Amino acid sequence: MGTDDIRPQYLATGSGESPADHEQLDLIRGVLAESSTWEEPPEGVVDGLFATIAREGHAPVVETAAKRQRPPWLLAAGVVAAIALLVIGVVSVFDEPIAETVVAMTGTNLAPAAAGVASLRPTPSGWYIRLDVSGLPAAPEGTYYQGWVWNDDEGVSIGTFHLRDGDDAVVLWSGVDVAEYPAISVTLEDEGAGPEASERIMMKGRFEELSEG
Amino acid sequence: MDPEVLQRFRIGDESAVKAVYDRFGGPVFALSMSILGEPGLAADATQQTFIKAWRAASTYDPERSFSPWIYAIARRTAIDIYRKRARLVVSDQVDVVSMAPGLETVWEVFEVRAALDQLPDEERQVVKLSHFDGLTHGEIANQLGIPVGTVKSRSHRAHQRLLVLLRHLEEM
Repeated sequence: MGTDDIRPQYLATGSGESPADHEQLDLIRGVLAESSTWEEPPEGVVDGLFATIAREGHAPVVETAAKRQRPPWLLAAGVVAAIALLVIGVVSVFDEPIAETVVAMTGTNLAPAAAGVASLRPTPSGWYIRLDVSGLPAAPEGTYYQGWVWNDDEGVSIGTFHLRDGDDAVVLWSGVDVAEYPAISVTLEDEGAGPEASERIMMKGRFEELSEG
Repeated sequence: MDPEVLQRFRIGDESAVKAVYDRFGGPVFALSMSILGEPGLAADATQQTFIKAWRAASTYDPERSFSPWIYAIARRTAIDIYRKRARLVVSDQVDVVSMAPGLETVWEVFEVRAALDQLPDEERQVVKLSHFDGLTHGEIANQLGIPVGTVKSRSHRAHQRLLVLLRHLEEM
């Protein structure tokens, strides 16, 4: 059976010869089995949407993201709140506790206006790392940002992003234990360049102690 | 989506908003259900998402892909609704807002649903009966009144098509 046949077969059945990207296909199979994937929005949704449009008339012209820079005090308040979360340690989701560590990240001289926090928590498949950043511009065309965790000897990539469609939270994953790789950074990379980290470090942070459990 | 529709969407054209809803209403609702878990809340999140998108239509850059733009609005809207319901006061000074469940796969949910909505109806039906209802090819054939061979060929075509539509997930 060729590769072209193996993947649809595996996606369809979850059995047989396992393709190299079987974890991704397992994830898709999981989504396909969820009821939420298949449910239709009620008719009232579109009715309400057009009732609002009729009531409000023409769509307003909204100021661009560039004009909506957050004031520095607001960012500082966010970092203080994040550090408070670090002190608290455990965040609860309804009745289910989730241990989460929050690390402040700062911009380097290549991105002095950048700041934010990295929220980390262990999951069965690796470390979930969410970056909430502000002041980091969209990666120029032909480039992208790459997240890394580091120990004294080496860095491990935790994913790439570009921020060209806004500054929504960035979700990255680490397959190595971040307790062993306690430094985190974001570099600017050129498309088509090699797998090594460039020296253009835009943001960095370090977690001294991780709360697990 | 058709670039001409997206250009009209940018100026708030109602027929373009309807076209966008027809294309992304399902994925946005699936994403909202994934985060909120209740149809009523998910419907509210879906409606709010498209109202926000319509209000912010002029900020959409038509040279960028539309899907991540509407996804970002939908995700934030659902999380905001979740937070309003899940706010927990853990001390006198600090109001901690918890993280919604299911966020790790919410992009996949959105993209998988968008891909499913692009399948021909008869292929989509086979995929649903197989994955969601857990039926075998033989059971699907009985239920639909078609030969097993037809079910197999539809299933193979559907999964091939899904892999093509979802190939960008592998690059993330």
